[in-house]
Amino acid sequence: MKILKINAKNVFMEVTKTLKKGGLVIFPSDTVYGALVDATNNDAVKKLIAFKNRPPGKAISVFVRDFRMLEEYVCLNHKQKSVLQQILPGCFTIILKSKHKTSKLLEAENGSLGIRIPNYQPVNNLLNLFGKPVTATSANLAGQSPCYSIKSLLNSLSKTKEKLIDLVVDAGELPRNKPSTIIDLGKDKVEIIRQGDIGFNREEIYVSNSPEQTKQLAKKIYKNIKYPQDKPLVFIIKGELGVGKTVFVKGLGELFGIKNIISPSYVIYYEYKLKDKIFDEFVHLDLYNIDSNEELDYLNLQSYLAGKNLLIFEWGEKAGRIFDLIKSKAHVVFVQINYKNLTKRRLVVNTNYTQEISSDNDSGQACLPAGRPE
Amino acid sequence: MLILSIDTSCDETAAAVTDGRRVLSNVIYSQALLHSQWGGVVPSIAKRAHEEKIDFVVGKALKKYKMSDINAIAVTQGPGLAVALEVGIKKAKELAIKYHKQLIAVNHMEGHIYSNFIQNSKGNPKREFRFPYLALLISGGHTELVLFEGHLKYKVIGETLDDASGEALDKAGKILGLGYPAGTVIERLAAEVNNVDMYKFPRPMLRSANLNFSFSGLKTSFYYYLKNLSEKEIAEKIRFLASSFQEAVFDTLVYKTEKAMKTTGVKNLIVGGGVIANLYLRKKLRKMIKIYSGSILFPPYKYLAGDNAAMIGVVGYFKIVNNLAWSEADIIDRMPKLSLMNKVE
Repeated sequence: MKILKINAKNVFMEVTKTLKKGGLVIFPSDTVYGALVDATNNDAVKKLIAFKNRPPGKAISVFVRDFRMLEEYVCLNHKQKSVLQQILPGCFTIILKSKHKTSKLLEAENGSLGIRIPNYQPVNNLLNLFGKPVTATSANLAGQSPCYSIKSLLNSLSKTKEKLIDLVVDAGELPRNKPSTIIDLGKDKVEIIRQGDIGFNREEIYVSNSPEQTKQLAKKIYKNIKYPQDKPLVFIIKGELGVGKTVFVKGLGELFGIKNIISPSYVIYYEYKLKDKIFDEFVHLDLYNIDSNEELDYLNLQSYLAGKNLLIFEWGEKAGRIFDLIKSKAHVVFVQINYKNLTKRRLVVNTNYTQEISSDNDSGQACLPAGRPE
Repeated sequence: MLILSIDTSCDETAAAVTDGRRVLSNVIYSQALLHSQWGGVVPSIAKRAHEEKIDFVVGKALKKYKMSDINAIAVTQGPGLAVALEVGIKKAKELAIKYHKQLIAVNHMEGHIYSNFIQNSKGNPKREFRFPYLALLISGGHTELVLFEGHLKYKVIGETLDDASGEALDKAGKILGLGYPAGTVIERLAAEVNNVDMYKFPRPMLRSANLNFSFSGLKTSFYYYLKNLSEKEIAEKIRFLASSFQEAVFDTLVYKTEKAMKTTGVKNLIVGGGVIANLYLRKKLRKMIKIYSGSILFPPYKYLAGDNAAMIGVVGYFKIVNNLAWSEADIIDRMPKLSLMNKVE
C-alpha cells in the first residue's frame, strides 16, 4: 500500500495507472473518503466488494465526469436530462437504468445504476485522465461510520483489509459534508391501458365545476350503471395529479356511508368493510406508486376479484398487465377526468353494461403471475 | 421485560428487541440502504417482498437472545399496506404460538408517538413523561394531530382529509421529475436557495375552523402552475419551485399545530414520522414553540423518525404494564385503516 499526498507530483497519473491495473484506490471526494476501482472491471469490483464486506445484491454507485460520460453508461431521456443538468454536478446520486457497460455487480436487482457527477476538482481531474467511470462508495467497511480522514480509516482496518488497498491519496481532514441525496429515476415502465383496450359502447360526458359537484356526479354515474349483480364492479379512474380522482371516490364512498376516505397512494389500497350492502367490501386502490409490472403481482387482487366487491382504481390505467384479469372477472367502468381550468373538470364515462362478458375460460385460475418469467 | 417486536406496515421490514423503553437490538431492512453513504436503491413499496426478508430480519434482531429470554411479542396491526401487515402478523403469531408467548397488537401511529421516549441500550436520553402532550404525526401515509393525555390515551383532534404531508411532498417531487420518494431531494434543493418562497402557493385549510389538513388543493394548484411552464423553465426554476412548495406544506403544518396548541392549551409538543427528518421543518416548529414558551421533542435518534420496530416494542411494554395487552394469538388480524380512535379490543 502506497500513500500519496493529494498535491504530490503526478498523483493523478499514479491513480490512473493503479486503476487500470485493477487496483483499489482510497481517494477523497466531496463527501467522505471513497474506495475507487475501475467500474468496468469486474475483478476490480469483486476486490472492492471483498474489501467492503458488502452484503451481496447491494448496489454501488459510480462517479462519471459529465453528461457525455453519463449517457454512455445509463439511459437518460430528454426530460430527465433537463432537470438533472440544473442540479448536477452536485451532491446527488441519480438512479437510472444501466446500459450494462459497467460491472453487473454494481447494479441493483432491477438493473439500475447509481450515478454521481461530483462537484469536486480532484475527482473530476482523475476522471478526465482515466476516461471511464470509477466506483463511488465510501471507504469505510459496510456498517461502519464513514471516514473523513485517512488516519481514522487506517485505524479501523485490519491488516488483511489494508493489504487489499493498492494506493491511498491523502487530502487531510475532509469537511463534514452531508452524504449525497438519492434521486431514483430508474423505475420500469408499466403497461398503460388505453381507452381502446376496454371496448366500450357507451360514452357519457359530464362537466363539474367544483369538488362537491364531482362527488354528486360520482353518485349519479354509479346509479346509472347496469351490470351483472354476481360480479365485482370495478371503476378505473384516469386523470392527472390533482384533477379530483380521490374526490370522485369520496362521492362513491358517501353512497355506502363511508366518510373517512383519504388518498391511498402511499399504501396502494384501503379496504372498507360494508355491512348489509350490495357489496361486501369497498376497496379503494391507487396505482400511482406502482412502477413495475412485478409489483402488481404482490397486490393479491385475485381475492378481491373473487368476491362481491366494489373496486375503485385511481391510476387504474397502470393496471396494464393485470387488466385482462380484471376484465375477465369484473364489470368495468372507465372514468376519465380532465382539467378544463383550475376548478372546472370534464368527465368522460364509459360503462360497458351491454357487453357480453365471456366466462368460458373462467376456471378460477389466478392468472396474476402468468406474465412472470420462469 | 424483553419484548420482540415486528413492524411490516409499509416498505420497511423491521424487528427489534426492547427492554422497557430501551432498545437492545433493532434491524430495519431497507433503511440500511437509505443510510448508506452512497448508492443503494430506494425500494418501491409493493416490491417489498417482506416475506423474503422477515426471517432474516427477525433472526438478526434475536441474534444475542434466545426465545426463552423473550417475555412477549409485539406486532403492528395497522395502519399500513394490507399485504405488508399480513406478513409481520403471521410471523408474530407463529412465534407466539410456537413459544407460548403473549402477543400484543400495536397501532403503528402509537409507535410514532412513543418514538420520542425511546432510549438506547444504556437508557439515554432520560426523557420524563410530562402529560399531556400534543403530538404531530407526519409521514408519507399520515398527517394527524393527536392529544396524548396519558399512557395509551389518545384523541385525534385533526387529520388529513386527502393527501398526507409526506405524500404531497413526494408527489410534487415526482411532478418536478425528481423521482420518488422525493422529500429529501426537495429539502436539499430548497436549502440551496435558502428556502425562499418565490411562488406563494396557496396554504390549504388555513381559513377552516377545524384542525384538519388538506393538501390536494395545493397539489392541484402546483400541478396547474407547472402546466403553463415549459420544461426548460421548470428545470431552471426547480430549486425555487421545490422550495415554495415545501414552504406551503410546512406553513400549513406549523399553522395547524399552533392552532391546536391554542385550542387545547397544551404547549408540550412531540413530533413523529418520516417528514420530521427534514431539519428545516424542525427549525420552523422550534421557532413557533418558542413564542409560546412551550417545549418540543423529536425522536432522539435518526432511525426513530422513520418506520421501525423498536417503537412497537416500547408501546408493547406500556400496554403490558397498563394491562392493555392482548393474549389470544388468533384474534389479531391486520387493520390497514386502523385509527388511534379505534378501541383495540
